[in-house]
Amino acid sequence: MAVSEPLVLGIESTCDETGVALVRGRELLADVTASSMDEHARFGGIVPEVASRAHLEALRPTITAALDAAGVTLADVDAVAVASGPGLVGSLTVGTAGAKALALGLGVPLYGVNHVIGHAAVDELVHGPFPERFLALVVSGGHSSLLLVNDVATDVVELGQTLDDAAGEAFDKVGRLLGLPYPGGPHVDRLARQGDPAAIAFPRGLSKGRELARHPYDFSFSGLKTAVARYLEGRADAGEEYSPADVAASFSEAVADVLVTKTLRACAEHDVRTLVIGGGFSANSRLRELAAERCAAAGVEVRIPPIRYCTDNGAMIAALGSALVRAGVAPSPLDLAVDSSMALSLVSVPA
Amino acid sequence: MVTDVVRLHLADAEATAALGAALARVLRAGDLVILTGDLGAGKTTLTQGLGRALGVRGQVASPTFVIAREHAPLADGPGLVHVDAYRLGGLTELDALDLDSSLAESVTVVEWGAGLTETLAEDRLDVVIDRARGDAVDEGRQVSVRGIGARWDGVDLAAALQA
Repeated sequence: MAVSEPLVLGIESTCDETGVALVRGRELLADVTASSMDEHARFGGIVPEVASRAHLEALRPTITAALDAAGVTLADVDAVAVASGPGLVGSLTVGTAGAKALALGLGVPLYGVNHVIGHAAVDELVHGPFPERFLALVVSGGHSSLLLVNDVATDVVELGQTLDDAAGEAFDKVGRLLGLPYPGGPHVDRLARQGDPAAIAFPRGLSKGRELARHPYDFSFSGLKTAVARYLEGRADAGEEYSPADVAASFSEAVADVLVTKTLRACAEHDVRTLVIGGGFSANSRLRELAAERCAAAGVEVRIPPIRYCTDNGAMIAALGSALVRAGVAPSPLDLAVDSSMALSLVSVPA
Repeated sequence: MVTDVVRLHLADAEATAALGAALARVLRAGDLVILTGDLGAGKTTLTQGLGRALGVRGQVASPTFVIAREHAPLADGPGLVHVDAYRLGGLTELDALDLDSSLAESVTVVEWGAGLTETLAEDRLDVVIDRARGDAVDEGRQVSVRGIGARWDGVDLAAALQA
C-alpha cells in the first residue's frame, strides 16, 4: 500500500442502510453499516420518513465506528464521497448534509457520487483494477440497470433499465403470491432450487420482435409477475394441485434468463469481455449460475463481489470516490443538491 | 355527491396508459385518485400514462419498494405523488408517511388504496381495474371510474374519458 495515496471516507444513505467506509487507493480499511430494517419490518418494507430519521441517529456513531475500525482519525481523511442520488430524498439529504459538514470542517474535497455506479465500483476493492471497459448489471429491490462502463470515474453509458418493477421487487411480489414471508427474494430463491425451471413457460418481457427492437436492453418484470398471479388463480379456480417449487423455479428462470440474455447481447454488441454484477439481487443463486454458465460459453469474465459488498454499504461509495480522486476529476460544489432520480450516466455531480 | 360510474373496456396496456393521460386532463393540484385492482391489473401502467400527460420529472415506476414516490412538475401544473398502499395495514400506518405535506400541490395516486386512504380527502376519484382471472384468454381490462365529493359535482367524466 502506498501511504501517499489519499484516504477517502465514503457515506451511503440512499435507502435504509447507513454505511460509512474508509478506502485508501483500492484498499478497504473499514466498512461499517447500520440498518433500520427492523424499524421497517412492521410495514413489510422501507418507509421513507422512518428511514430518514434512522439515518440521522445512525450517521455520527457509524462514522466514529468506521474511523476506529480503520485506526485513523478525521484529520487523516483526504476526501469525502457521498451518494447524492438516486434514492429517497430524505435519506439522501441526511448523508449529503453530513458529508458537506465534514468536507467543509476538514477543508477537503467533496464528491457527490452515483449510488448505482458505486455498486459496480466496489468490485475494484475485491477483484482489483477494472479492464479498459466493462458492462455492469446492477440489480436490487430498487434498481435493474445495465451500464456500459468505459471508465468508472468519467464515462458511464446507461444502456437500459427496468420500465416497471425491479428484479428484486418482482421476487418480493411473487413471494407474496406464494404466501412466503417478506422480503420474498431469498425465500423464493430457496424454494426455486427444489423445483423444475422448465415446468411452466412464463413470459420473457421485452424479448421478442418489435418490443425487443424498441427496448434491446430495457427490462420489464410486470407481465411476468401477472403471469404468475394468473397461473396460481387458474390452478385455484380449477381446484388443481400445483407445485410452489416449480412456480418459483420457472419464475426465477424467466428473470435470470432475461437478465443474462440481454446482458450478453450487450457484451457482444459493444465487444466487451468483462461483466460486473452488483446490487442485492446478485445474491440470487439462479442468476449467479446462469451468468457463470453462459458467460463462460461466450468468453466473458464475470466479476461478482461477495454479498456484503452487493447490498448497500459505504465501501462502494468510498471506492467510487477513490476512483474519482485517482482520475483527477474535479470535486463537487459544497452546495450540491441531492437528486432522487440521478441519471445513471452521471458518475459524480460536476463542479 | 357521487357521480355516475363510467365504465370502459381497455384492450391492452397502451389503452390503459391512454386512460391515464385522459385522467390527467381532468385532474388538478390537490386531487386524489384511488386506484384499485389485482396484482398485474395495470395500476402502474395507468399511472405512467398519467405522469407522462401531466409532464412530471423522473420515471414513473412501481412504488412498492419505497411506498411513495414524488415526481415534481417539469413546467407549470401539479406534480405527481405515487403511493403504493399495498403493504400498509391501516390508517395509522399511512399517517407515518407524512403524505399530507405534498397533497395540496400534487395529484396523488394511491394504488391498492380502497378502504385505507379515503380520510386523506373528502373528494376523490375511484378507479377500479379488473383483469381476467386465471387461465382465461382475455387480455383486456374492465375499468370503472366515479367521482366522490363536491369536487366532482358537475364534472362530465364520461365525456372526458370516452373521447
